[in-house]
Amino acid sequence: MDFVKGLMLGLASGAVCAAYCGPVLIPYLLSRGGNILNNLLTILYFMAGRLAGYLLFAVLAWAAGMAAAASIKSEKAVFGVIYIVLAGAMIFYGFKRAGGDCAVKRAGFLCSTTFPAVLGFLTGLNLCPPFLLAFTEAARMGVLWRSMLFFAAFFVGTSVYILPLAILGLGRRIEALRYVGRLAAGVMGVFYLYLGILSLKGA
Amino acid sequence: MADNNRVDQKRRLGTSAVKAILLTLPILLLTGLMVTGGQPIPKEAIRLIPLAVTYLFINSIFFLLIYSGRISRYRTILFVTYAACFILTFTTNLIETRGSMILTQENMVKGETPFCPMVIPMVIIPAALTKTIIFPGSMASIGSILVAWLGVTIALGRGWCSWGCFFGGMDEGFSKIARQPVIRNINRKWTYLSFAVLLVIVLTSAATLSPTYCEWLCPFKAVTEFEEITSAKVVVQTVIFFSLFTGLVVVMPILTKRRTQCGLFCPMGAFQSLTNKLNVFDVRVDTNKCTQCNLCVKSCPVFALDEESVRKGRARVTCSKCGKCIEVCPRGAISFHIKGTDVGGNGRTAQLMFIYPAFLLLAIMGSGMISGAIYRVLLLITTGSILK
Ligand code: SF4
Ligand code: SF4
Repeated sequence: MDFVKGLMLGLASGAVCAAYCGPVLIPYLLSRGGNILNNLLTILYFMAGRLAGYLLFAVLAWAAGMAAAASIKSEKAVFGVIYIVLAGAMIFYGFKRAGGDCAVKRAGFLCSTTFPAVLGFLTGLNLCPPFLLAFTEAARMGVLWRSMLFFAAFFVGTSVYILPLAILGLGRRIEALRYVGRLAAGVMGVFYLYLGILSLKGA
Repeated sequence: MADNNRVDQKRRLGTSAVKAILLTLPILLLTGLMVTGGQPIPKEAIRLIPLAVTYLFINSIFFLLIYSGRISRYRTILFVTYAACFILTFTTNLIETRGSMILTQENMVKGETPFCPMVIPMVIIPAALTKTIIFPGSMASIGSILVAWLGVTIALGRGWCSWGCFFGGMDEGFSKIARQPVIRNINRKWTYLSFAVLLVIVLTSAATLSPTYCEWLCPFKAVTEFEEITSAKVVVQTVIFFSLFTGLVVVMPILTKRRTQCGLFCPMGAFQSLTNKLNVFDVRVDTNKCTQCNLCVKSCPVFALDEESVRKGRARVTCSKCGKCIEVCPRGAISFHIKGTDVGGNGRTAQLMFIYPAFLLLAIMGSGMISGAIYRVLLLITTGSILK
């Protein structure tokens, strides 16, 4: 039952979820210039990170319960920091050695598998509206495994909207798209940085 | 070199005075209708003088452009004048109708935000997903912007950026100040930045259901209207607007002698490049005549030419059809061209076919702003106040 509920919520609000993840994932996929299969793999890494973020929240939701859920919502500072970390990763990726082949290759830990997972994890920790709904629902459950099952189902439901982004691989021969993707990741990072700073200021 | 340029250019478009007068006649007629707006000619001098001066100015520019064949030089004069007059006319009108340049929440709720084509790429996805328009204003006003945009795009494509945009003349004006550029080389990768900005604003507008370019990135907020400062967020936004304006519209154009806002940042320019396919004109290099001297590459204000594109014989999609390269090429190898026809075969006809709609757009966009600005100056001289 919890699984079905989570799945339904994910399916119902997945388009909004995709709109929230798109700004992070789309520039990254374009900049990689991979084919559809490579993109699917990258999206899977991204989603694995996102699932980890969700499950972390599932644990929090279980531990916090309904009352604390409200207080976490208002805990803007935490999300401010998350935004800033995400911004840092994207700015680094986007602008580091603009013109070089692959900025992240040079920074060992940020290799092509870990980086999308890190992006996914940080995106998973963002408070987008459907996610808040899921969080509130999971917080009511009171049992850890139910809360985790609910979030996992929610993740599956929303993923239906994210996987089709692999189609961007069709444009892989257009070299310009790689530059555009890289730079867009950097600009997006600056945008998240504003959001992070504003969140911190409003904390 | 300058003389060489003129002689070769004359071969392409310049003509005799009589022919130039004849070719100016259609513009004389159409701008006559445009300047008066089809209304009877006003009797008061303060209304009549601005219209007459604007009419004479626009038509003299067209005549000189045709007579000399120096498309870019005379376009620039009109385009920069229009941009400068736009600031004066727009802001004084704003202050008269709304009381100040400040945009309040109430103005936004009432949909009192003026026309801006930049809205188009931002509203498409949210409109498709939610059936709502994420910009203050009615469906009808957005609809009319869309129709106007489609018309301009079909007629000129990215030519909008050199013949229509009310902001383009600002960085073009500043790019003309220095005699020599201080910064000469800009990494080609940065010429993709405007597409990246476009991608970011489309995605973030879809995610946040708000026009993120208007809220966060528009440099021209600095000289048109800006949001009332009511929070730290608006302070940050205002600092960004002023920094972008100073950096991209003033300082960088002076240092590089290029239109850095239009060529490197403006997402509307990128959007026009993507939709440029709808338009029949492009700029082509006759590779048989070209000696690869790269003068055109160095002079293109929006970075639309590089060695590779010259070798391939065509400007990149970011070409704003300003005519500068046509003017500087000592071999007369570059011309406006109608897609699907021979390169170099129809140079003169293609140029004329392009110049008429392009110039008319500039005249339509510019005439109201120029006469409006002259009117404000006369008002100031005669009454001591720039406002009615
Ligand atoms: S097109 Fe003209 S200006 Fe450009 S490289 Fe060739 S000859 Fe030189
Ligand atoms: S390629 Fe020529 S016409 Fe196009 S923007 Fe550059 S200078 Fe102007």
